[in-house]
Amino acid sequence: MSEQASIKPAALRARSFPGLAALRKILREPMGFFGLALVVLILASAIFADLLAMYDPTKIAPQNRFQGPSLTHLLGTDHLGRDLLSRVLYGARIALLVALGSTALSLMLGIVLGLMAGYGPRWLDAFLLLVFDAMKSFPTIMLALTIVTLAGPSMVSVVMVVVMVSVPGYARIIRTQTIAMKTAEHVTAARSMGAGTIRILRVHILPNIIGPIVILASMDVPVVIGIEAGLSFLGLGVRPPTPSWGTILNDGFANIRDSSWIVIAGGLPIILTTLGFTFLGETLRDVFDPRLKGR
Amino acid sequence: MKNNETKGFAVNRRQLLVGTGALSLSSLLFPRNASAATGGILRVRSYSDLQVLDPAFMMSQSDQDIMQAIFTKLVARPAGDEWTWAPGDVESIEQLDEKTIAFKLRDQLGFTDGFGQVTADDVKFSFERIADPATGSAYAGDWAVLKEVEVKDTLSGVIHLTGPFAPLWTTTLPGSSGLIVSRKALAEVGGKITTKPVGQSGPYIMKEWQPKQRTVLVKNPDWKYEQGAYDEIHILPIEDEKTAEMGYEAGDLDYTWTAVSSIKRLKENPPADTTVIEKPSLAFVWLGMKNTTAPLDNQNVRRAIQHAIDTAAVVDAAYYGAASTATGIIAPGLSGHRDANLFAYDPDKARELLAAEGAEGITVTLDILNKTERLTAAQVIQANLADVGINCEIRQHDSGTFWNLGGAEADPNFPLQLYLSRFSMYPDPSWATAWFTTEQIGQWNWEHFSSEEFDELNKAGQLELDEAKRDEMYKRMQDIMEESGQYVFLTHEVVGVEYRNSVAPAIMPNAMPLFDKFKPA
Repeated sequence: MSEQASIKPAALRARSFPGLAALRKILREPMGFFGLALVVLILASAIFADLLAMYDPTKIAPQNRFQGPSLTHLLGTDHLGRDLLSRVLYGARIALLVALGSTALSLMLGIVLGLMAGYGPRWLDAFLLLVFDAMKSFPTIMLALTIVTLAGPSMVSVVMVVVMVSVPGYARIIRTQTIAMKTAEHVTAARSMGAGTIRILRVHILPNIIGPIVILASMDVPVVIGIEAGLSFLGLGVRPPTPSWGTILNDGFANIRDSSWIVIAGGLPIILTTLGFTFLGETLRDVFDPRLKGR
Repeated sequence: MKNNETKGFAVNRRQLLVGTGALSLSSLLFPRNASAATGGILRVRSYSDLQVLDPAFMMSQSDQDIMQAIFTKLVARPAGDEWTWAPGDVESIEQLDEKTIAFKLRDQLGFTDGFGQVTADDVKFSFERIADPATGSAYAGDWAVLKEVEVKDTLSGVIHLTGPFAPLWTTTLPGSSGLIVSRKALAEVGGKITTKPVGQSGPYIMKEWQPKQRTVLVKNPDWKYEQGAYDEIHILPIEDEKTAEMGYEAGDLDYTWTAVSSIKRLKENPPADTTVIEKPSLAFVWLGMKNTTAPLDNQNVRRAIQHAIDTAAVVDAAYYGAASTATGIIAPGLSGHRDANLFAYDPDKARELLAAEGAEGITVTLDILNKTERLTAAQVIQANLADVGINCEIRQHDSGTFWNLGGAEADPNFPLQLYLSRFSMYPDPSWATAWFTTEQIGQWNWEHFSSEEFDELNKAGQLELDEAKRDEMYKRMQDIMEESGQYVFLTHEVVGVEYRNSVAPAIMPNAMPLFDKFKPA
């Protein structure tokens, strides 16, 4: 922090750096600090996997299988003699790519469809609701198994599953809030002044309803990581030899009597990421939307 | 959304987590009684779910394990360490000469569902049906020399062959093609049994089948002869051996095959109250290449793949050194076993061949069963291929999907290229080669391998009784297979079995089970 910044009045500082103020609020909560630290750690290990990993994560060396942690292999090796730490680091890429990518995609689709349903004509609303409810009625795992069977196992299939599972939920929340906002005075005023539908949605409605949904989405990230790891565990997610936490966990499960390090290497990052995003999400919610507290 | 709270049953997420944690902890502290062999129920594992319980159309060893308990047979395979045969459900059976076998059935054998007594006419129907090309059975080769079954009276008959037949007493009669089904019952169900057996006649009958969960066999109440020792046999389909081992340790199973890679560890440190044994296996595992689509329609590309794969490394990695590499599809000890492969691991040669064909950087797919050992083997193959510049995509399938990738029910548009497969084997070389003839294309010959010389040798080998000549013939047949570039022979595996000391299993020399003959120890 520069000297100049530190002498500014608190209110002014908050106004000039709204992000910083939010960050402070988050860091002030122990849970938020812990969550953010974990998320940063995971993000950094994914982004810098190339630099941090000492080995090629797919390089096999069966003669080195089931080694425990040592200076050459910090987390040991798996049943094919691959370095587990390298696999975990590259696995973070897959996990975050799928989680952030598909959550962002679901959020976008959910917002667009939710606004359409909430602000559009009655028939469109009824039709979209029918579609949302129909999609939500499929149990996640069954839907995932069906899609993967039809489309074949791949990262794209995993993203497709996540989007199909999450969009209806987001869309319904956006729709409800849009309906509530539709009759708000400032919206009526904008409409009477001749503002177009797109402008009303973009300028007058969306900014007022987007907060909670972003927080909810951030809390869904660990769920998505769980879906990716789960499908990969079942051999229905990313294809070998691409390292994924789920496939590492499956290797560990199959060889648990030979080495317990593989399960630890696959399970620990899933636990840490889940904790990180959950704590961060809950803190975000407490800080920005106290109304949601306790839900 | 996931954060919604249910009114009236207010448990928040943290309370739920604490509760779940406490529950799982208590299940660790107070495990269930580990012995599962109680109340006359035997719980065994099979490596795939049942698919077709019809001797003419069966899909796997798991089908056969069930069928041999629920249908009668003329010739049985006794348990033990020797491959022999014994009279089955007959008063007598004898070979009158090379081409004639006389039999007389026991007189109190009956079919369930009201299909009456088991008669010589049902024997005639069962055998001739498989031999008849119109039936379209993949096992017609078992009865390649059947002329007819002559019915003498209700219970007696004579099997007439067109010539001597070497595998008759080793694989045909004691195998699934020697099982007897009811003519009337088959007529009623339209000529083919699927997953619901009709006209069962063995010491056990199938009571229920819960797909992917279990098959329940119960004692046949009308069975008048030697009774099975268990009231019920529950067969649990668990594809992955390592999962089965954990199921066994958790007390859900009394008997299971183990993963090959676990045999050493289990022998050194067996679970409580358990016997672990290792048996030689005759089965064969290979990498097949279907030759109908580019780039695998080019023999030099296939040859390059043969040279690219380090079979020793693949087998060592998949089985942790417990199994040795194969030199063909016929295991050591049988006539026709080869001493060496023709095309050894030589990555430089592979690169050369690919460069000459301009095929560097091609992508191929490798389809496998979704189980640990296959996946491990596949990943080593993938690395071997990457080493010579071939990208390999691995696709995993559950057994139901996998076993239909290349057979009669296969989707013709499915782009099958490379795949890892394993066939069970009986102690006659003809049982190994029978599946790779031109006739078997679209049945078990997924590679679409076709060679006239091979087909003729396959026929001749079944009729040849001179062991030295047979040995030469079957060696030549494997040479032809390998020369086609469509096969990389991997291993014959070994079989590990673990079972409770309270069970006396009845298994054949290669550890195939005879569930109806299991007894409490």
